[in-house]
Amino acid sequence: MNADLFGLELNVWADAAIRLVMVVTLMTVVVMGYTYLERKIIARFNRRLGPTKTGPWGLLQAVADALKLVGKEDLRPRSADPWTFELGPYMIFIPIFMGFVIVPFIADFHIRLLDLGLIYFVAISSVSIVGWVMAGWGSDNRYAMLGALRSVAQGISYELPLVLSLLAVGMYAGSFNLGVIIAGQDVVPNIVWQPMAAFIFFIAALAELNRTPFDIPLGESEVVGGPFVEYSGIRWSMFQLGEYASIFIMSLVFSAVFLGGWMWPFGEDLGRWFQVLLSGIKAGGFFFVVVWIRISVPRMRIDQLMGYSWKVLLPLALVQVLVNGLVMVNGWHEVTLLISGLVGVAVLVTVTGRVVAAPSVRPGPARPLMPTPAIAQGEAVS
Amino acid sequence: MKGIARSMLTTLSTFARKPVTRNYPDYHRPLPRTDRAFPLLLWDHEIDEPFCTGCHACERACPVECMTVLMKDNPNHKSVGGTSSRRKIIDKFWVDYARCMRCNICVEVCNFDAIAMNNTWTGHEMSVYDRKDLVVDLEQLLTQSRAKEIDEWVPIIGQTND
Amino acid sequence: MVTEPAYEFETQDILLNVGPQHPSTHGVFRMVLSVDGEVVRDLVPHIGYLHRGAEKLCETMDYRQGIGFMDRTEYLAAFNAELSYVMAVEALTDIEVPERAQWIRMILCELNRLSSHFMFMGAFGIDVGVFATPFIYAWIGREALIDLFEEVSGDRMMFAYFRPGGLAWDVPRNFKQRVNEALVVAEQGIKDFDTMLTENEIFVARTTGVGKISAAEAIDWGMSGPSIRASGVPLDVRRDEPYLMYDQVEWDVIVGENGDVYDRYYCRLLEMRESVKIIRQCLEKMPDTGPIMPEKMPRMLRTAPGEVYVRTEAPRGEYGVYLVSKGGNRPHRLKVRSACLANLQALRDMSVGQYVADAIVVLGSIDIVLSEVDR
Repeated sequence: MNADLFGLELNVWADAAIRLVMVVTLMTVVVMGYTYLERKIIARFNRRLGPTKTGPWGLLQAVADALKLVGKEDLRPRSADPWTFELGPYMIFIPIFMGFVIVPFIADFHIRLLDLGLIYFVAISSVSIVGWVMAGWGSDNRYAMLGALRSVAQGISYELPLVLSLLAVGMYAGSFNLGVIIAGQDVVPNIVWQPMAAFIFFIAALAELNRTPFDIPLGESEVVGGPFVEYSGIRWSMFQLGEYASIFIMSLVFSAVFLGGWMWPFGEDLGRWFQVLLSGIKAGGFFFVVVWIRISVPRMRIDQLMGYSWKVLLPLALVQVLVNGLVMVNGWHEVTLLISGLVGVAVLVTVTGRVVAAPSVRPGPARPLMPTPAIAQGEAVS
Repeated sequence: MKGIARSMLTTLSTFARKPVTRNYPDYHRPLPRTDRAFPLLLWDHEIDEPFCTGCHACERACPVECMTVLMKDNPNHKSVGGTSSRRKIIDKFWVDYARCMRCNICVEVCNFDAIAMNNTWTGHEMSVYDRKDLVVDLEQLLTQSRAKEIDEWVPIIGQTND
Repeated sequence: MVTEPAYEFETQDILLNVGPQHPSTHGVFRMVLSVDGEVVRDLVPHIGYLHRGAEKLCETMDYRQGIGFMDRTEYLAAFNAELSYVMAVEALTDIEVPERAQWIRMILCELNRLSSHFMFMGAFGIDVGVFATPFIYAWIGREALIDLFEEVSGDRMMFAYFRPGGLAWDVPRNFKQRVNEALVVAEQGIKDFDTMLTENEIFVARTTGVGKISAAEAIDWGMSGPSIRASGVPLDVRRDEPYLMYDQVEWDVIVGENGDVYDRYYCRLLEMRESVKIIRQCLEKMPDTGPIMPEKMPRMLRTAPGEVYVRTEAPRGEYGVYLVSKGGNRPHRLKVRSACLANLQALRDMSVGQYVADAIVVLGSIDIVLSEVDR
């Protein structure tokens, strides 16, 4: 069996291996670029300069960070569960990396375009929740455990709107193969016909990525980094790598599913480098917006966050699927989709403010600890 | 969502403004003349000796007792054929910069205007590897003034600021 | 209608030790939370990590030497702390402070209130989870003010500038112009906070209804400053017992309604605007020249025997100094009435029964300075 890689005839296995190596390299470079860019963008938003000392314009900052992290001692708390603690970071990182299999970077470069690509993507990316629990449980730290449990609750809740919004697009495009979805957007990107799905996907993606305002599992000011709290050195850098790699893959999927990837608006005739540029701009734009939201918005509380997913995003995603089904079965014009989508976005925007700002029910009464002398003296505290 | 959009626009507006960073080790902000770092002793260039006569006024007034002062007879005094009118002069002087709380009281109580707060960057960049190195002796206290590296400011209490 | 399940499902509350090394305890404060999942069931605060015995130390040194220690009890609003102390000494010695010195003191205290509230805004923004932006906004505003303080007093935080009788030395010649420049930066900072946080839905959702305390409870706990004004109690020493020249300027006492975290935030924001208003009036009314110390000041200050309690309105509330003198040049007993300590006592009432994230926000909203709590 032979496969075609940039015009070369290669054995399928050799071809797959070369593609994998290329994607790993690309991912590492992009992750470093993203960390650098995030620091620079945040610095500009904050009227600072960001890294300037490492190399020209601080370009080597990511390299310096990586070297420093590799050089750090790999600490493990004595009471930690050794296996779960040490394997946790890899359990987070590997599923994210496996997600890259289905992503088409440009017209003729991807690892494998699966027919159920999107389903594969959402299935594999949710596996990393297990890694979060492993890290949180293995650390034997209450902050880490709290963060891990928050992470599970949030990951599962926002998985559903994410899947449903992708399902809506899949229905419209008639395929779950990302290559086919992109090819169908040569004139008009899906975001025009499916604005509400795009909106829901974006919000759910923010939650899946643990970015502000959904960063409660990490919550610096509350749980001090959550599951990361006991990690150091190379293992901690796996978390970082995983975080930015998942932003990269989310930005690629968003650009492929909703913005037409390398296809829109110029078609596929313009050559490979132009497609790279187009993909890069779209992914970079997604990243910029993610960072922009990060520095503008406070963190949500856990009850607001769960309520928002189950009460707003999930029903509206279901409505989008329903509308898509109605339009397709009855063969109505596509403009129906646009109008219904815009109405949906309007509803979403209105409801978001209301639901988020709604006063939450105060949970439960106090159970006073004060008479217990042990706690007042600070003994039974880890 | 209106409020969120508004806060995002606010951050975007700061994106367009000029950065306020002062890139510190490369750029030293000019210090005002009133700036207070740590106390140092002043050098009388006319007679070529310190102003300080070792009168212990600052040592007694120091709230944290960071100073140690010893005086001696001035070998340059007129009575022994010298040029100075100071009968006594400072012999040894230690200031423990690690204890000093930079309250300016030593400057205020000095009768001879012999001590001033360092108002240069040298006075702020004092990091050392050993805490002992922060106990500075007379030589180090006089160096800056002797080399005329400092435009000292000795406030007249209750009056001026020029 | 929620019905109780037929079976007993026993869960155990776990203890979560927040601090003393925690990003959002504003210094070395420790609180032990008893949490049931995400819900705080009880809270035990532990203080005293920063206790340096400043009051006792002041009893061993004369009145001028004590000023530097007062700075360090309240490092974010050192001018206000100094002011209470020197006013207490002045009350015991019957020194008449010249008018110009009073105006300058007032301007500096209000500027310090601004810089302290900036600090609150920045730290509070981080507590509610906005990344670094509010903190940097706060520091841009605060930096302009601190540069000004440095030009006036010589130091950026530990000023040691007020003296019994007046000021250590006169302000620079371009003082008014520099204050106006700093106010422009500060006003821009206030505006940025206002547009960024005040109406943000998530911010509103995180803060309204959280950490409520009623007016009666707040009075019972002895709270003061913006924390009690947010509960609807119009308590402001500047208006109730005008000191300095506060009876000659016009401003409003900002009073909240609900006593929740949002009100405490918004009261402070509006109070910053009022401070700007006060400073503008002061600059108009302040004489350009004049003495800043009485003509005859003794070389070593000695007070008459007696005792005095002087309170002023510091950014965090009523900062009082109780001074007992038995004559001589040093206090016999000095006691600082710390606003933060009184405000902090209400923390448990405000946070129990809410989420862990709320407890952090409540702690941020009462704006403690641990050096003032522990002294």
